[in-house]
Amino acid sequence: MSCHPPELDFSPVKTGDQNVCLVGMPNAGKTTLMNALTGGNFKTANYPGVTVSLLRGRTKPEFGTSRNLIDLPGVHSVIAPSPEEELACQVIEGKHPKVKPDAFVLVVDATQLERHLKFAGLVARQKKPTVVALTMMDLLSRTRQIVDPARLAETLGVPVIPVDPRTGKGMDDLIGALDLVAAGAGQPYTSNALAELPREPVAAFMQVRNLLRQSGAVMHSNEPDSVTARIDGIVLHRYLGFPVFFLVLVSLFAAIFWAAAPFMEWVGDAFKLAGNLVTAIAPNSMIVRFLAEGVIGGVGVVAVFFPQIMILFFLMTLLEDSGYLARGATLVDRPLSSLGLHGRSFVPMLSGFACAIPAVFAARSIPARRERLLTIWILPLMSCSARLPVYSLLLAALLPAAAWKAGLSLAAIYISSLLVGALVAGVAARVFLKYRTPSLLAMELPAYRVPRMKPILKMTWARGSSYLQRAAVPIMIVSAVLWLVSNFGQTPDRWIGPTPKDRSFAAQVGHRMEPALASMGVDWRVGVGLISAFAAREVFVSSMAIVFHVESTDEDQQTQGLLDQMRTATFPGTSQLIFTPSSIVGLIVFFFFSLQCFSTVAVVRKEMDSWRLAGLQLLFYTGLGYALAVITVQSLRAFGVA
Amino acid sequence: MKAENDNRFHLESLPEAKPLSLVPLRAPFRIERLDGPSEDCNRLLDLGITPGEEVVVTHAAPLGDPLVIRIRGASLALRRREAAWIWVV
Repeated sequence: MSCHPPELDFSPVKTGDQNVCLVGMPNAGKTTLMNALTGGNFKTANYPGVTVSLLRGRTKPEFGTSRNLIDLPGVHSVIAPSPEEELACQVIEGKHPKVKPDAFVLVVDATQLERHLKFAGLVARQKKPTVVALTMMDLLSRTRQIVDPARLAETLGVPVIPVDPRTGKGMDDLIGALDLVAAGAGQPYTSNALAELPREPVAAFMQVRNLLRQSGAVMHSNEPDSVTARIDGIVLHRYLGFPVFFLVLVSLFAAIFWAAAPFMEWVGDAFKLAGNLVTAIAPNSMIVRFLAEGVIGGVGVVAVFFPQIMILFFLMTLLEDSGYLARGATLVDRPLSSLGLHGRSFVPMLSGFACAIPAVFAARSIPARRERLLTIWILPLMSCSARLPVYSLLLAALLPAAAWKAGLSLAAIYISSLLVGALVAGVAARVFLKYRTPSLLAMELPAYRVPRMKPILKMTWARGSSYLQRAAVPIMIVSAVLWLVSNFGQTPDRWIGPTPKDRSFAAQVGHRMEPALASMGVDWRVGVGLISAFAAREVFVSSMAIVFHVESTDEDQQTQGLLDQMRTATFPGTSQLIFTPSSIVGLIVFFFFSLQCFSTVAVVRKEMDSWRLAGLQLLFYTGLGYALAVITVQSLRAFGVA
Repeated sequence: MKAENDNRFHLESLPEAKPLSLVPLRAPFRIERLDGPSEDCNRLLDLGITPGEEVVVTHAAPLGDPLVIRIRGASLALRRREAAWIWVV
C-alpha cells in the first residue's frame, strides 16, 4: 500500500475508471468519507472550509471496481460563490478542463437536511448517477429526530445511504449503490424532485421543506442538540469562555513539554549510542568522525525534539476533530476583526505554532483576500515548532537548573509571539491595507463529537512524517556541509585540508560577519549557526553542536554536552564568555522575529502568487529581528546585565 | 400615507420589527426581512437565513460579539453588525 498522502498525487487520472465526485455543504463530512473510501490520509477537520482545493484518491481495493474519488470544496452558494465554490461548481457542471465527473456522491448531514439538500438541485440537474450519503446519523438522537432513509430515497428519487465514515459503517452499501446507479439498471426511482429545485435560495429552501414534509421521512423535534448546547453554554460563557480557552491552550503547551520529556530522553540516548558505535569503528579516522559528529550528531540534536512536535500535531488534530476550534475562532473574532484579521485567522495562527507551512495553506479558509494576506503576513511570527529546539537550548543555557523558570519563559515567548503578531497586523491593516469594513463572519459551529482515536492517530502520523520528510533532508545536508566547512580550510602547504576550527572555511566566512555580530554580542561561530538556520531554524542547534564541537563519545547526553560547551565558550583569545544573559536574550529576540525558513518564503510566494510579497516579508522580519536583537543586547548591557 | 386619526394598526398591535442584534437571548423570533449589503445578504440567504424562518440567538461570545444563532438546525456565529441586517418580529 502506498504511504503517500493522495493529495500529493497529481498523476493523470486513469481514463478507464469512473470519476466520482463528493459534493456537499462545508462540514458535511465529505473529507472524512473520502478518507474511509480511499484509506488515504487527507486533511480532515471538524471545522468548516477545510477542503479548499481538489483532493483526489482511489477507492480501496476491498471496494471492488477501482474508482477515482474527487473531494470538492464545500459549497454554500451557487449564486454568489467564492473562488473555491466556483471551482466546485465548475467541476459539478462539467466545465472544468481536467476533471469530468461520471457520478456524484452528495454528502448530506442528516441533522440538517433542509440546509444540505438545498444545494442538491445543481447536482441533480447534471443527470449523472447520484447517490446521497447521509452522515451524522449518530447525532440524530441528540436532537430527538428520526430520519427514514428509505422514504427519503423514494421522495428524492435517488438512493439514500446512511454512512458513518468514522467507523466505516455503510461503506459497502454506498459502494453497492454506486455500482447500481452507475450500471443504470435496477433504478427503482421515478421521481426527479431534486432536479426541480430552484436556484434561488428562498424558493429552494421552501421546496425542500415541502418535499421533506410530504415524504414523512423526517420526524422533526426542533429541539436543539442538548450536548452541544450545554458545552457551548460553558465555552462561550461570558465569564468562563476565556478561562476555558486559555486552559485549553495552556494544557496544549504544557503537554508538549511534560509529556514529551521521557520520549526525548530515549531519542537522545539512541543517537548517542549510534554515534558511539560509529566512533568505535575507527576513532581517529576523519570519515568516521564526519559520520559520527557531522551526520549522526547533527541530526540527533534536532531529532530529540521530534516527540514534542508529534505531540503538538496530535493535540491540534484532536482539537480540530472535537469541534472546539470553531468556538475558539468565535471567541477571538472580536479582537481579530478589530485588527483587520478574521475569526477564521485563528486556525492558521494556531497551526502556525506547529509549522508556518500548513498554516499558510490553512489561511485559504479565510474568505476575503485582504484578510487572508494579513493573516499570512503575521504567520512567521507565530512561534513554530522549529523554534522550539532553539528556545529550549537557549533557555537551558540562560536558566540552568531551573526547568520551571525555563518553562515559564517559554510560555511567555509563545504568548508574546501572539501579541506581537496582533500588533503587526493592526499596524499593517491601518497603514498599508487601508482598513475597511470586515468581510462576513457567518461561520457554522459544528456539533461537538467525541474524537475517534484511529483517524486522529493516522492524521498525526501523516502530519508528523511529512514534517520529517520536509525537515530531515535539509537538516542532514546542512549539518554535514557545516561539519565539513568548519573542520576543513586552507592549509599553508596544500589547497584544502583538515584545519583547526578557527582557521576553517566557516571561520573565514564568520570573521567577515564579525562587525555585524559583535553588536549582537556573539562571535563568528554563532554567526555560522544563524546563517545555517535559514535552511530550517532547528539547524541552529545542530550547527552549534558542530562549531562548538561536542564529542559524541561524551558520557553525558548530546544536548547536555553542548550546554557545557556553550557555558564555557569564550571569544577566541580572550576569557570573555560568549553566552552571557544579554547575548542569549538577544539571540532569543532574533529567533522570535526573523523569518529563517526558506520553505515558508517559497510557500507564501506560491499562495499569494507574488515574489515581491514573499521577499518583502523575508527582509522585513529578518531586518526587524536583527535590529531588535542589537537594541536588546546593547540596552541590557547599558543596564549592567552581562 | 396614514391618516392621522387612523388607529387600526394600534388596535391590531402588530409587533414591530427589530434587528436580531438587539433581541434577548434564547427567545424565538421570525425573520421579516434582510436589510444590508446585497452581496452579504445573499450569502446569509444561502446559509438558510431566509424571511419567514424561525431564529433563536442562543449565545453571545464573552466580548458580546459575535452572536451564535440557531436556524434550520444549524448553529452559526454572526457578528453583531451582520445580525443587525436581519430584521425579526
